[in-house]
Amino acid sequence: MAVVGAGIVGLSAALAFARALPGAEVTLVDLPVDPAALADRMPGALPTIHRFHAAIGIDEPDLVRRGIALHHLGTRFENWSADGAPWFHAYGDHGVPAGPAAFHILWARARRRGKARPFDRYAAGAALAEAGKFVHPSADPNSPLASFLYGLRFDPDLYRERLRSAADALPIRWAKGMVAAVGRRADGGVAALVLDGGQRIEADLFIDCAGPSAPVRSKLDERFESWADALPCDRLLIGRQADVGPPLPADVVTALADGWRRLSGFPGGAIRVEAITGEREGGVALRPGCRPEPWLSNVLAVGDAAVAVDPLENANLHLAHSAILRALELLPGRDCHPLELREYNRRTEQETRGVRDFLALHYLRSGRRDGRFWQGLAQRPVPSSLAHMLEQFAARGRLPFREEESFDRHSWLAVLLGMGLLPDREDPIAGAVGDEEAEAAMERHARTLATLPARLPTYPDYLARMVRAPATSARPGT
Amino acid sequence: MTQGAPRRRVVILGGGTAGWMTAAALVRLLPHACTVRLVESADIGIVGVGEATLPHLRTFVEMLGLDEAEFMRATQATFKLGIEFRDFGRPGDRYLHPFGSFGTELGGVHFHHYWLRLRAEGRQDDLFAYSIANVMAAANRFAPPSADPDSPLSTYSYAYQFDATLFAPYLRDYCVARGVGRIEGRVVDVERDPATGDIAALRLESGERIEGDLFVDCSGFVGLLIGRALEAEWEDWSHWLPCDRAVAMPCASPPGPVEPYTRATAMSAGWRWRIPLQHRVGNGYVYSSAHISDEAAADALVAAVEGEPMAAPRLLRFRAGRRRRSWVRNVVSVGLASGFLEPLESTSIYLAQAAIMRLVELFPNPAICDADRDEFNRLVDFEYDRIRDFLILHYHATTRDDSSFWNHVRTMDVPDSLAERMDLFRRAGRIAKYSEGLFFEPSWLAVYLGQGVVPEGWDQRADNIATDALGAAMDRLRARIAGAVAPMPDHKQFLAARAAA
Repeated sequence: MAVVGAGIVGLSAALAFARALPGAEVTLVDLPVDPAALADRMPGALPTIHRFHAAIGIDEPDLVRRGIALHHLGTRFENWSADGAPWFHAYGDHGVPAGPAAFHILWARARRRGKARPFDRYAAGAALAEAGKFVHPSADPNSPLASFLYGLRFDPDLYRERLRSAADALPIRWAKGMVAAVGRRADGGVAALVLDGGQRIEADLFIDCAGPSAPVRSKLDERFESWADALPCDRLLIGRQADVGPPLPADVVTALADGWRRLSGFPGGAIRVEAITGEREGGVALRPGCRPEPWLSNVLAVGDAAVAVDPLENANLHLAHSAILRALELLPGRDCHPLELREYNRRTEQETRGVRDFLALHYLRSGRRDGRFWQGLAQRPVPSSLAHMLEQFAARGRLPFREEESFDRHSWLAVLLGMGLLPDREDPIAGAVGDEEAEAAMERHARTLATLPARLPTYPDYLARMVRAPATSARPGT
Repeated sequence: MTQGAPRRRVVILGGGTAGWMTAAALVRLLPHACTVRLVESADIGIVGVGEATLPHLRTFVEMLGLDEAEFMRATQATFKLGIEFRDFGRPGDRYLHPFGSFGTELGGVHFHHYWLRLRAEGRQDDLFAYSIANVMAAANRFAPPSADPDSPLSTYSYAYQFDATLFAPYLRDYCVARGVGRIEGRVVDVERDPATGDIAALRLESGERIEGDLFVDCSGFVGLLIGRALEAEWEDWSHWLPCDRAVAMPCASPPGPVEPYTRATAMSAGWRWRIPLQHRVGNGYVYSSAHISDEAAADALVAAVEGEPMAAPRLLRFRAGRRRRSWVRNVVSVGLASGFLEPLESTSIYLAQAAIMRLVELFPNPAICDADRDEFNRLVDFEYDRIRDFLILHYHATTRDDSSFWNHVRTMDVPDSLAERMDLFRRAGRIAKYSEGLFFEPSWLAVYLGQGVVPEGWDQRADNIATDALGAAMDRLRARIAGAVAPMPDHKQFLAARAAA
């Protein structure tokens, strides 16, 4: 098979396929990373990255020790609500259930009664992050530190180098050059690529990881489903800025008049990402949307070649990883039979639409009006699957189940309740637990979490300890 | 519930399993939000053949706060590890659809792919030997599962086989003790609100008028409210599931073991159930009246049962299908009033339970609104449609050509959704993935392989391990399962110690 593109996505795909299928010949076509290929360029990764790392044999403590990656408990959102109050999207559990009612139902009631702290105060991940601390989740299920998750942040250049050296240890062939021509088969599939240096690459399967232009997949068809209505950012600026202090286990996203800015601190500097609408110098264009049928015939599009969303919630690389693992799970024979492709595309579509809806929620229901970017967003049409979710949430705080969901219900609730949305009416089940009883339990939980960080080392100390004591260090969080 | 809103007045019609389960859940979970009254008539029998359940019922029993041993004693219950299917794929075949998984995943690849590969390389080996529930069932042993994920004892679950005619009265006592109003009487008239068209009240033979805000129709096949009064349309599935009658007859327990599983045996015009309870064995023949007469079906059942009959054969009529909408206006139908799927996979009580929990989730807040009704109906349809496909598979995946019934189901067109799933499996053992719904990968795998649908290929990653090493690992797994099952108590002894009536 041939993997086109040797950015983080292409390398990830080549590594995963070469490891899973030792008999397969994998050729990696190295072409310059498209500046608009966000899955290749963004520094953030969701907690699902641990599963992918396990599949390709990348060790998290090793990444941390080499200074390539830091831990990521979630994101603090500033000015991202009607009243501007900051909130935190922490990965993992929020609250503890009491009786038959879900925690957030009881929380919403207590909130209305003025008896609840902000929703993020009931999440261990947020408590750690706000104190600038990190530890790995506890293996003891009764510990208050057992039920949070963490992702990673890395310097994309260093991370890419690490993947490249892992690829060097495998029998992956390298080819260099731009795709000059795509030779087709009689059945519509692709027979071979011709690179601008004249090299011809034949394969049974072509995995297009070359960014939004999708130089191979786009030869089969140019269909594109635009999500511009739901995802307003159309320009991205990526930069570095000088030292911002000690490393923190979380990022900060700040809403701006024309979009938003994310700062990810690393030792020696921060990576700054701004997503906006309109013109500003130095940016790359962002065209949110997806290619229907990312796997067509013998061409599989992965990463921005398949789906492009802004990096607000770090879903870009997650979608690429998930696509690679799904393709491996369903890998048909050389014939690329339509049955397996249909199952792949069905599940992929469910997953990408789930991410689109999750991001759209941030924009279309933030409550913020301040700035031209935000004006009118609340009036935009909402994708029907998101509208269904919002309707159910408003009616009683219910979140309908969705297949192939990337963000669990805790994440949805962190954003909904963080932005200040509350159910219009209370779920009748809430009456099963008394007000004061529920509020007392809630307060105990919040206090436990609030007092935890004081007993823990600072994040730089924790990192230093990981470097010193490699053998006893981390285990993946998921 | 909005502060100060009055409690909804819920009226349940029908005192069978579905009715009392609904009442129990509402009085347990929403006593502050509703009052519950249940109208039943001693003159109307309950169908009560739902003797076999799925593991989900344990959640329901726990939710009600019932003591398992007491519940099992009261309903003459036995433990159930799965359903044995005999003669379905072809006469002489048997397999267990276990409540549990097969083998362990290796390198992110499902176990059955490794098994398929070694099978192609000539290993003589039954996939079902890697299901601990199957090994336990074959030895008539039982022990509760373990919570330790590293133990093979964590890879199975269990359900109950019980006397459904005892379950409803048991729940009735539970409900009445908690304030559910039980009204004895026969409904003679249904009053509609002239303005809204909603049902306003039920009028009983005694003249009593029972008003309500929400009516739950648990009146069985007849669907007195959802069908007769509101005329909710029925979607007929009898072209895929032609069985439309059953004849049931309990018999005395034969000497010997009490099997921790239900048995379904294919018959010339349908199939026969055999459900071992503590005090008797439930038997019945589910058949297609187009392919066999009632008399011949009853004769076949009587000839087949092993123990002394404890009652005369009893005839039941039904139709496979469901209401197009289970919740119409202010009437929610639960159980047979909402739809019927034959009990081949013990789904009747599960379907009632799922509808009840959805009703709790979407309980009027405080008024009934379209969005809640639509969501309820969407979820109920989804459950029915998935189970429908799974049931059809049992009939369609066969080589039987020994009767007009089997010739029909073997050659009929199946829903596209099922045809595509079967094709996907035939190619390389993949099972379309869903996380919501009832039957997941291991269930489909059991029926496919149990009924002779064998894939042509397998996941290519299963080739990454040398034959000898893989064979040795599989031998170790078998030995581990055998070692875990050997010390388990006999099911009958375990029952006697734990839950004997």
